[in-house]
Amino acid sequence: MAEGTGKGESLSIWFFVGIMTLAYGVVLLPYGAYEWFGGHEADTVLNNLHPTFWWGLLMFLFGLVYTLKYRPRSGDKNKA
Amino acid sequence: MFTGTQLTHLSPVDLIILLLYFGMVLFIGFYVKGSTNTSEQFFLAGREMTAWIAGLSFVSANLGSLELMGWAGSAYQYGILATHWYWIGAIPAMLFLGIVMMPFYYISKTHSVPGYLQLRFGEGARGLAAISFAFMTILMSGVNMYAMAVVMQTVLGWNMTVSIWVGAATVALYVMLGGLRSAIINEVLQFVLIWAGAALIPILGLTEAGGWTQLKANIAINMQTNQYTHLWSTLGHFKDNPMGINWVGIVFGLGAIISFGYWTTDFLVVQRVLSAHNLRAAKMAPVIGAAFKMAVPLIVIVPGLICLGLMQNGHPLFHLVPADVAKGNPALHSYDQVLPLMLIRYCGPGLLGLGITALVAGFMSGMAGNVSAFSTVWTYDIYGAYMNKKASDQHYVWMGRASTIVGMLVSIATAYLVMNAASIMDYVQALFSFFIAPLFGTVILGMLWKRATNWGGFLGLLAGTASSIGMFIYTSTGSAEHKAAALARIALSPDAQPMAENMFRALWSWLICVGVTVIVSLVTRPRPESELNGLVYGATVIPHDGATTLFQKPIFWAAVVSVVFVILQIIFW
Repeated sequence: MAEGTGKGESLSIWFFVGIMTLAYGVVLLPYGAYEWFGGHEADTVLNNLHPTFWWGLLMFLFGLVYTLKYRPRSGDKNKA
Repeated sequence: MFTGTQLTHLSPVDLIILLLYFGMVLFIGFYVKGSTNTSEQFFLAGREMTAWIAGLSFVSANLGSLELMGWAGSAYQYGILATHWYWIGAIPAMLFLGIVMMPFYYISKTHSVPGYLQLRFGEGARGLAAISFAFMTILMSGVNMYAMAVVMQTVLGWNMTVSIWVGAATVALYVMLGGLRSAIINEVLQFVLIWAGAALIPILGLTEAGGWTQLKANIAINMQTNQYTHLWSTLGHFKDNPMGINWVGIVFGLGAIISFGYWTTDFLVVQRVLSAHNLRAAKMAPVIGAAFKMAVPLIVIVPGLICLGLMQNGHPLFHLVPADVAKGNPALHSYDQVLPLMLIRYCGPGLLGLGITALVAGFMSGMAGNVSAFSTVWTYDIYGAYMNKKASDQHYVWMGRASTIVGMLVSIATAYLVMNAASIMDYVQALFSFFIAPLFGTVILGMLWKRATNWGGFLGLLAGTASSIGMFIYTSTGSAEHKAAALARIALSPDAQPMAENMFRALWSWLICVGVTVIVSLVTRPRPESELNGLVYGATVIPHDGATTLFQKPIFWAAVVSVVFVILQIIFW
């Protein structure tokens, strides 16, 4: 049984966490790269550290690991 | 939709992030709807959650927008003393719940805290606890809604009515569809997103300040005192700290009564642990929750302190004021706006959307916690106990869904009422001590003292609650002189501030509850011990939780959390 979502369901709670953070990484990482390498940094304090790029990369990697680790596999359903 | 002045606006990339979040929470609601057909599934998530999920949900349900913004504001107002609400005001109680109390809740197979009171003390105590809890929960939910709407208006210029209705409708939909299961899955997700959205503020803020030591030095210069960065050393006397409280109020009022009352008897949080799939998971969940709770000051208290320490030309950069002073004056910002202000300072497009999503997630987790707990207590302990005792299981599930919607509508009405309250946090503190402190007295005596009788439990709870309300009226009505004198009597010092009054009122109401329960129990007939099996310490054989190795034992991990807790107190003494 997928952890936490109940009998008869194949998606784990951690899969939801993974896919959500991965989606955010996919949005933030290219936008951070556009800001950094395109010279479009936001007018914020410490923007020289490129927080959008680095945070986006972190979320992308975290989300990728969780999505792959907890992705639904055949046989999960009703395997309680 | 947009009104007046605003701090910032969302770019398209921010909107994508926010819309992704709304899409996901609604998808989860529809996804789990198919597995919430029985009352056990709808109200207790089928009792099949692991310790990690129940534990994260346990701490996330408490991490509403009030927690995030209110305590960030309190950290600006009172300094590091606000951390007490996360450490001594939470950790000991959470560990006590897991190790001592959870076995009784779990093996009694109760569906709610009022349900436990019914088993232990009979219908009187259950009815009183259920009605007061339902009342408090709805008010809390309204407060949460209001807090979120204020942020949306201040930061983004969104109309408060639109914010309240969109947020409430989303939460109502996913809780109505998937019950506690949907709420728990979303709470785990929301917990991760809150950290993802808020953790950059302390990281960048401490980088800007030049580290923790330099931040403390900046705060000392800005405030012209070092009282704002000490956790315990300023609590010798009411006059020595910004909160106007002493160690007795913090240790006994907050640490022993309010904290234990909230974390061990507030059904909003206890319900999450009751969803655990076995006794060991039920004991571990609060321990895991405590470990994460200890880290929350990083994203709540530190931003408030960073704001307090920011300087410009040798002077404080921000001058935040109480909410009632800021109201109607766009040039002023209130304490509660600390977190949005710091968010805007450090986060550009994309990260701003993530931060706003964190606030929205906090709002939704708090709201979902309130409304799912309300629908459970309403359905089981009010409707099912007094109005319709013999309905089918399907009917109770239907009632659970219907009460979710009705509860949300009442919360919305409450949110509009709260708009006139001067300070959100004071309001909530008052509510806590009305009901939570006496309830803790009743539950703890019920669990640990076999001699406590039905009449003792009921009358003790009644006396504690009534005395708390009475003290609140005594200290909050009449002339300014009368209020000051009343506050000094309740908090035992003419130097006490309103926060101290809350702590001491909780302490007195708990003592009155315990005193009345003991006296009445001693003059009334006790229940036979055979009826107390599974309910009371000493009359119950607690089953083994199944742990075979040291690392599987909840008590071991509770000890680890306790050691870290003590070390933190010493570091920030």
